[in-house]
Amino acid sequence: MREMSIFFRRSPARRLTWHAPVLEALVVTALCAVLALLVNALRAEGLPLVQETEYQILVPCPETSGEVETLTGLNLTGAPTETLVLDARSRGAYESWHVPGARNVPYDYLEAVASATLRKLASSGAKRVVVYGDGENPDCGEHLAKELAGKGIRNVGFIVGGAPALTGDLPAGVRP
Amino acid sequence: MKRLYAWGGHPYLALPARIYLGLVFLLACYHKLLDPAAFALDIATYQLLPLGLINLLAIVLPWIELAAGLMLLLGLRTRVGALLVATMMAMFTVAVTLAVLRGLDMSCGCFASQGAASDPISWFTVLRDLGWLSLSMYVLVFDRDPLGLDRLFARRKPGEAVTHHREHRT
Repeated sequence: MREMSIFFRRSPARRLTWHAPVLEALVVTALCAVLALLVNALRAEGLPLVQETEYQILVPCPETSGEVETLTGLNLTGAPTETLVLDARSRGAYESWHVPGARNVPYDYLEAVASATLRKLASSGAKRVVVYGDGENPDCGEHLAKELAGKGIRNVGFIVGGAPALTGDLPAGVRP
Repeated sequence: MKRLYAWGGHPYLALPARIYLGLVFLLACYHKLLDPAAFALDIATYQLLPLGLINLLAIVLPWIELAAGLMLLLGLRTRVGALLVATMMAMFTVAVTLAVLRGLDMSCGCFASQGAASDPISWFTVLRDLGWLSLSMYVLVFDRDPLGLDRLFARRKPGEAVTHHREHRT
């Protein structure tokens, strides 16, 4: 035990001086810099010392996601007020055609759904929310549905295939 | 203050702190050394440094982390290693704090590249960095070099050993 304690004994001659550690730290930094530059120069995939073109910064999109129901068609059961239909496509696409009674909530892959929109949806009184999008890959409807579910909206589903898949449910002559 | 500095428990606390910080820094430098290009992108994402300095920092910083980590782990020039770690932690804390304040939705890039997005920055990251900064300051001030190469080399030098012995008697 006495042998062990010698390792933890305080070095009595030690005083807190700063200039020597700072100087040594600068020397270590300089040595590291030389070594790093040398290794970088020898590397096949070494970086240029000065970057000339701007980096393409990729800031991840918000990934709020929740469980949603997958729907194969617009099967609106119950009273019309019980189901809220959302069109996740752009304003232009919505205006050219939309499911009667559907609200337009254009989905932006880079922006989160506005909190005002969420409040409106939450206070709509609907028991179920059905979302359809453009049906492409990725489908904006699916993304919107997942984001809504992730932010606390319950009973959210999306229509697989989006607006193009709804043609069978539409009256004759009306096409998305 | 003198009593605090003279407290006998410091070596017992500073030793695990020193080894822990050494391991953290060795772990942190690993992916940066393997893929400096990804680390350069990590630095660029913070949007703090001019373009001309990003690559230079991405090339040099991991090696300083490696050196500081090894110094702390091996107990070789421990105070120098702790000073390097404290300086780097101060830089990292400022960078992460500014990123959080600016609302950047990004990964820390501390232990993995941005692509992994496994370590998103938050106030917890700032708190964690402050913890490591405090730990490195503690090692810097209170470490007594137990179980390290410094102690080993010092004991092998007859002149220094005599000096320590004499001063301890007094």
